[in-house]
Amino acid sequence: MRRYILRRLCLLPLVVLGVTFLLFFLTQRLSPEMRASLYVKDPRQMGALEEVIREYGLRDNVFKQYGRWLVQVAHGDLGYSPSANMPVAQALKKYLPATIQLAVVTMILVVFFGVWFGAASAVHKDRWQDFIARFISVGGFSLPIFVLGLILLMIFYGKLGWFAPGGYSIQTDIIIHSSAFKTYTGFLLIDSLLNGDLRVFCDVFAHLVLPAVTLCIGSFALMVRVMRSSMLEELNKDYVRTARAKGLREYRVIYKHAGKNAIIPVITLAGIQFIRLLGGTVIVETIFDYPGIGRFGVLAAQQLDIAGILGFSLMVAVLFVIGNLFSDILYMAADPRIRLE
Amino acid sequence: MTQAALTVQDLHLSFLTDEGALPVLRGLSYTLSPGKILAVVGESGSGKTVHALSILNLLPPNARVDQGKILYQGKNLLSMKSSALRRVRGRKIAMIFQDPQASLNPVLTVGEQLIETLRAHKRISKKTARKQAAELLTKVGIEEAEKRLEEYPFQFSGGMCQRVMIAMALALSPDVLIADEPTTALDVTIQAQILRLIKELQQQSGMAAIFITHNLAVAAQVADEVLVLYAGQCMEQAPASRLFSHPLHPYTQGLLGSLASVERKEERLPAITGNPPRPGEILTGCPFAPRCSHALKKCFETCPPLYEKDGCKVRCFLQEGK
Repeated sequence: MRRYILRRLCLLPLVVLGVTFLLFFLTQRLSPEMRASLYVKDPRQMGALEEVIREYGLRDNVFKQYGRWLVQVAHGDLGYSPSANMPVAQALKKYLPATIQLAVVTMILVVFFGVWFGAASAVHKDRWQDFIARFISVGGFSLPIFVLGLILLMIFYGKLGWFAPGGYSIQTDIIIHSSAFKTYTGFLLIDSLLNGDLRVFCDVFAHLVLPAVTLCIGSFALMVRVMRSSMLEELNKDYVRTARAKGLREYRVIYKHAGKNAIIPVITLAGIQFIRLLGGTVIVETIFDYPGIGRFGVLAAQQLDIAGILGFSLMVAVLFVIGNLFSDILYMAADPRIRLE
Repeated sequence: MTQAALTVQDLHLSFLTDEGALPVLRGLSYTLSPGKILAVVGESGSGKTVHALSILNLLPPNARVDQGKILYQGKNLLSMKSSALRRVRGRKIAMIFQDPQASLNPVLTVGEQLIETLRAHKRISKKTARKQAAELLTKVGIEEAEKRLEEYPFQFSGGMCQRVMIAMALALSPDVLIADEPTTALDVTIQAQILRLIKELQQQSGMAAIFITHNLAVAAQVADEVLVLYAGQCMEQAPASRLFSHPLHPYTQGLLGSLASVERKEERLPAITGNPPRPGEILTGCPFAPRCSHALKKCFETCPPLYEKDGCKVRCFLQEGK
């Protein structure tokens, strides 16, 4: 087990190298002048372009340039991101926790309701519980996320004024940037609790609700379907009949026996969905003006912010490998037949 | 006469399909005497497994009991409330199934599955249940029981899984054991061991058992009494020794005639020609008549009743008045 984790972690540098080299190679399709112009802030300095190219070695062989970037990264320097107007490392540190926070809250909702609805739908197949679950899941699946997000925003912010967009309110902004508020983890939900400030916690949470619900409904649909079909399959298996024949109570037969088997494919799906949420919540982050990493990545791509893009991909690659490893470990915990070797 | 361990009365059962209700059992009746093993033999499709499942109401959702009673201690199991039936399941009437590996939950340890069976019916601590579970495993011939409680079914062979199933079925010393083809999925050598084990434990505890099988050799090995099922009806029921030495029904004769034997030197084994009726086929006469070499005209017109004689029952006009 420990050896398996170590071996998988050894893969991490390989994945990171592959992804970043691919991106680096693609950016070489741009001429050195185009890449140099990114470093020039003032149009009047355009004459100094050749100097910039020489200084940064932009005409060098791609491997040499890539090697230089690697050395730089190894020293903890990811470069400067013009699109975010701060060093890449600082931008990641600023935006990533917000996205992870959003993704975690979303996944908790998705798994909880997905498993619950999916199981109920299977147990009461072709009855009203099943129809409701199927209606919601088909509806959620076919509704574009930006339409849903806007509708929710209109109702819950526009009409009711409950959940405002953004990451937190102005009052919270003042509190968290004051010297009294200590940053421990960068995750505001956790930090606010550690600081004992429930007002900040509630405010941050209220700002999470709409984006999380919007993201949840999209992923939830698939989760309900997977859980439902998996549960239906398990309920027909011989061991369920054995469990009934032993005189167990029906809820134990369903949840302990069938449920424990049915949850296995759900774990795989949840792992994939979680990783996807980390890198791909950009639409929702844009609609709700949520200060997350997806928006940072898209902005960097739009503005040809090469350092920003490389930093973003590096982070996604790392999260991808770790996320997969994590879901493999969970998978093993759920299914004793799987031994990670 | 002592009270029967289990009585099945005129059981009619059908499967609901797109083509309508297909009858599977048409008036099956029998009595299981306490402490005896009754083998129910029949071809596939004869309704033997369905009948076994109906006893504890474990039927698939598309099966429907149309008529009949299954009496246990004077109560009809078919009309029992689910909470009352739950207390009979596993505790009074236990069951083992055909495919032992599929019948155990793959993600729970053998110990968990044994312990939960005990604790579903008895108010005992986990520790006590664990001790009893280990004793049960030892009783069915599994060594190092303590250690094996921690293991999962996939770490057991098929024969070992069936031993676990038997241990689970015997956990609460039931009055009746229903074994649905318990050895069909196993190797022949393991089959013999498992049969011996069931027989041995049955004699020790004095429980009654219903043994569902398509294998006459298995029936001969364990049964006190044999019931031959054909197209959902009892064709012949007799004490095992009598049935195997003097089969009365042409179907039983045909079945026994088709068994391989060391003494016989024929090139080909005799087989019963034709096929059993398909489920749902409308039968006016004796269901076996189309395949029967002794069939009379009236066999095709009316179904013969069960004739009773010296504790044997035969559904055949040839036995009329004998």
